[in-house]
Amino acid sequence: MVPGVMLTLSAKRFTLNLINMFKLNLKIALRNLFKNKIYAAINIGGLGIGLTAFVLMLLYINHEESYDTWDPALKNVYQIRERHNFFTPDNKEHLQESNESRVANLIRQKVPQVIAVTKVDPDWDFRTGNSVKIGNADPITVYRMKDADSSFFHVFKYKFLQGSENNALKAPKSVVLKQSLARKIFGEGNMLGKVIKVVAWQGDEGTDLTVTGVIEDPETPETAGFTAIMRTGNKDKDPDNPTNSNYCQVYARVNEEADPELLNQTLKKVYVDYKKSTAPLRKIDYKSYFANGKYLQLKAIPLAEVHGNRPFEISWLEKLKPVIAICVFLLLVSIINFVNLATAQSVQRAKEVGVKKVMGAYKQQLIGQFLLECALQSMVALFLSVILIEVLLPWFNTQFHVELSFWHNANLFNILLQLLGLFTLVTLLAGFYPAWILSNYNPASVLKGNYSGSLKGIILRNVLVVFQFIISVTFIIAISVMHLQTNYLYNKDLGFERSNLINIRSGYDQNLAEKIKRIPGVQYVATTTQVMGNAFNVPEEIEYNGNKISLNTVTISMDALSALGVKLLKGRVFSKEYKQDTVNTVVLNEAAAKLIDKNPVGKSYKIIDQDRTFNFQIIGVIRNYHNEGFDKEVLPTLYKVTHLGGTSSTNNLIVRLNSDKSAAIIEKIKAEWKHAYPDFPMEYTTLDSAFDKVLENNRLFINMIMLFSTVSVSLSLLGLFALSTFVAKRRTKEIAMRKILGASNVQIVNLLNKTFLVLVIIANLISWPVAYIVVKKWLNGFAYRIDLPLYPFFLATVISIIIAVLTVSIQARRAALANPVNALKYE
Amino acid sequence: MIQLNNIEKYYANKGVKNYVLRLVTTTINQGEFVSIMGPSGAGKSTLLNIIGMLEEPTYGSYEFLGEDVTALNERKRIELYRNHIGFVFQAYHLIDEMTVYENIEAPLLYKKVGGAERASRIADLLDRFNMVAKKDLFPNQLSGGQQQLVGIARALAAQPSIILADEPTGNLQSAQAEEIMELFKKLNQEDGITIIQVTHSEKNAQYGNRILHIADGVVKEDVLVG
Ligand SMILES: Nc1ncnc2c1ncn2[C@@H]1O[C@H](COP(=O)(O)OP(=O)(O)OP(=O)(O)O)[C@@H](O)[C@H]1O
Ligand SMILES: [Mg+2]
Repeated sequence: MVPGVMLTLSAKRFTLNLINMFKLNLKIALRNLFKNKIYAAINIGGLGIGLTAFVLMLLYINHEESYDTWDPALKNVYQIRERHNFFTPDNKEHLQESNESRVANLIRQKVPQVIAVTKVDPDWDFRTGNSVKIGNADPITVYRMKDADSSFFHVFKYKFLQGSENNALKAPKSVVLKQSLARKIFGEGNMLGKVIKVVAWQGDEGTDLTVTGVIEDPETPETAGFTAIMRTGNKDKDPDNPTNSNYCQVYARVNEEADPELLNQTLKKVYVDYKKSTAPLRKIDYKSYFANGKYLQLKAIPLAEVHGNRPFEISWLEKLKPVIAICVFLLLVSIINFVNLATAQSVQRAKEVGVKKVMGAYKQQLIGQFLLECALQSMVALFLSVILIEVLLPWFNTQFHVELSFWHNANLFNILLQLLGLFTLVTLLAGFYPAWILSNYNPASVLKGNYSGSLKGIILRNVLVVFQFIISVTFIIAISVMHLQTNYLYNKDLGFERSNLINIRSGYDQNLAEKIKRIPGVQYVATTTQVMGNAFNVPEEIEYNGNKISLNTVTISMDALSALGVKLLKGRVFSKEYKQDTVNTVVLNEAAAKLIDKNPVGKSYKIIDQDRTFNFQIIGVIRNYHNEGFDKEVLPTLYKVTHLGGTSSTNNLIVRLNSDKSAAIIEKIKAEWKHAYPDFPMEYTTLDSAFDKVLENNRLFINMIMLFSTVSVSLSLLGLFALSTFVAKRRTKEIAMRKILGASNVQIVNLLNKTFLVLVIIANLISWPVAYIVVKKWLNGFAYRIDLPLYPFFLATVISIIIAVLTVSIQARRAALANPVNALKYE
Repeated sequence: MIQLNNIEKYYANKGVKNYVLRLVTTTINQGEFVSIMGPSGAGKSTLLNIIGMLEEPTYGSYEFLGEDVTALNERKRIELYRNHIGFVFQAYHLIDEMTVYENIEAPLLYKKVGGAERASRIADLLDRFNMVAKKDLFPNQLSGGQQQLVGIARALAAQPSIILADEPTGNLQSAQAEEIMELFKKLNQEDGITIIQVTHSEKNAQYGNRILHIADGVVKEDVLVG
């Protein structure tokens, strides 16, 4: 025979043999699984649940990572951020997404790398709805329609289904719709040239816009998301008066070669020059830009980095970190179950290992066999989790306000790759140690029969059980503390009466306000720049007794404080009886009073504006009331009445009802509204729901922790249950002997409990400090919080001990009640 | 084929050496059927394990087929298991999750015997041991004697040159034991397979052609039978 042929023949035989071996091992694996059905179910089910949580988290991360990836060319797009203190929550300077509108032109003219620049509306939470009217149909509210200048589609290269990038926004009064919106308002067909009337606020007469384009909805989410881009013309020009400014977002597309570093250097120079040259026009001393540690900054942020790093927001990754930790722990708990049960079971497999070794099996072959068994189980677990995810995803999406998808994901290939990686990782984590232990059995001692005393395996198993219980106990402590804190927040005195109070999205219209006031059941109609759900902070520097103090200013109408139901501490609130109340009196909140004077009522302070001085008299002090999340302290604030009753852009028309039939009254208010503004639907929120919204993130977070901890605790217990079964089984002979020697059932149950009890107590001792640190850190995120109570710690300990003892006792009792003769005869 | 020289084995316990085997020197040739006998705790199993390379002697030299076993690496030893040595155990030690057929097949898979040849060898063995009808049963569905037959069939599958059996009939009734012993004798005489067995029964020992009497780790007597 030719050597080559021989070689291929033996190679063929070799592969055939491998396949046969693989088949046989697979069969053994399956038979073992069937033999130990319950443990296999616990193993696989637990792992499936652990994987589900982990994969959901992966999907979420993928979703967040996919922001602004719908076009490869977006790598040349930058968001411009300017540093200023306009509209910041703490009234201090920050690098912000909104820029003074002139920045756009500045960049267009002075920065050579830039190809196109566009100005576009920012996302306002409370005022994004536009009323859209087509013909004589009833108006509908459309959210996230944004006004932009003509360059928008030169920066963001969307795919045009109708119209074209170059012509779409060429003329003012045009609008480009996303396909999803176009379908909703027009259905199918050609929409170019159709006219829609867009009403931006109730008093707006409306603008007729011609549809000049329809673009495809991108597959991945966008930072600068919108449903339609309008060119009303407002963004075309900057204000003529140099002391006036508009704020908007600015995006720029740069050429391929542009270097980000260099771009930012150019921006900085151009910006500083610009500020210097315009300072005299604005009647501002250029040096004041640098007073009190302030400085000038204009920065281009690559679009890819924008979503993960937004001003005034904790980045999604930062927010997700606790969830990532929890998912990892959950997966670990299920892997630990796996490892523990596998090593406990390994005693049953010892003989097989011994025999195979004397038949001439290599150690690697045995490791391979056991890893294969583990891979089989993780594969089933993975399929299970994919099914679970399909089932759970809709619920998960509504519960946590996300739009995740699995099979329809744009990144499906990537996700499948990640799953493959996860599968390998889990298989190795769960399978390697048991495989290694098993394949290391010494055949001589195994075949002699004394293979049970693998002490190393037992120590590791105990460590893992302790670890599992640390996780569970920490979870129990964390959820009880979170529960207490949430209760505290829900029942916290907000400083105003939130029930029977609604906030209509509208400025103060004297006529309408009067009409609403006449409706029976309406007590007050007022407006304010600061109410929970929509607070607008304006910084102001006052001078009191020669000290300069920075305060937050809130402008309100006469009735606003009464309408809110705030608590007066000293002096009085505003009232019609006092003429000067619309001119130069103010009310302070407690925080502001603390900064100014112990007894401020009746005293005056000064405001110096350029070269004029105004005097204000303090007439009262009210309790601090909350208008933002509980993570922030209430700002020191002064309240002023303006003759207009608030500013027109306030968009808070608050109505206090003094009747139980609020639904009926709201209907009446709606009717009045429709009468006044037929083209603009009324939008309102109750302060109760505004409050819920403030607590929503917190609520979601706690719900998630609750869910995950319940799952993790149950998985740990399932694991303990299975483990104790094994231990009881392994000690059957010992138990039988002891019974014959006269041990009572109780003594035997105690015998088995003792081992686990020690473990659980050790776990408790370790988890106390861990939980203390974790929970303390979480509580510190709240400006208003409970003192860390001790009893959740005791509670967790008691619960964990009771549950562990119960679980083990069920098994131990069974072992103890069994007839000793059976056990001994069998051996 | 087997050459033992001054083999010693002891377990150190609290500084005291407990000797299990002392200065065992013997030669076992190809084609012999040797029975090791002696009181309980004498060191019979230990000696057999050393011969089977399951345990290492503390002192002494051991040559198997002319090769120094103490110098063998793991891979080489496994090769010997695959090609030369078959084990038969008192407790049978069949793999519970495998059928009779698969139990016999397993060593052939490790030895990388081709599919057709494998099938024919297993068919042969099943036929020879009258187990054809039972080939798809699991070990716990067989009687003790049948299990031991499968154990022997498994040991024979790889066509070893030597079979090591530690009290192969220890768990069996005398009729079954006789059957096994007849089988051993036949294997020894017709196939030329070297057999070393540990046994407590004088009767079983008579099936072989040589008896090593061991007491307190020392070979007291080395007699030929018949
Ligand atoms: N791991 C060990 N540690 C200490 N002593 C051991 C160990 N293994 C075996 N021995 C001792 O070695 C001696 C010989 O054991 P061996 O198993 O070889 O006896 P045996 O002759 O086969 O006895 P039996 O007929 O009862 O099977 C015994 O005294 C035993 O106590
Ligand atoms: Mg013995």
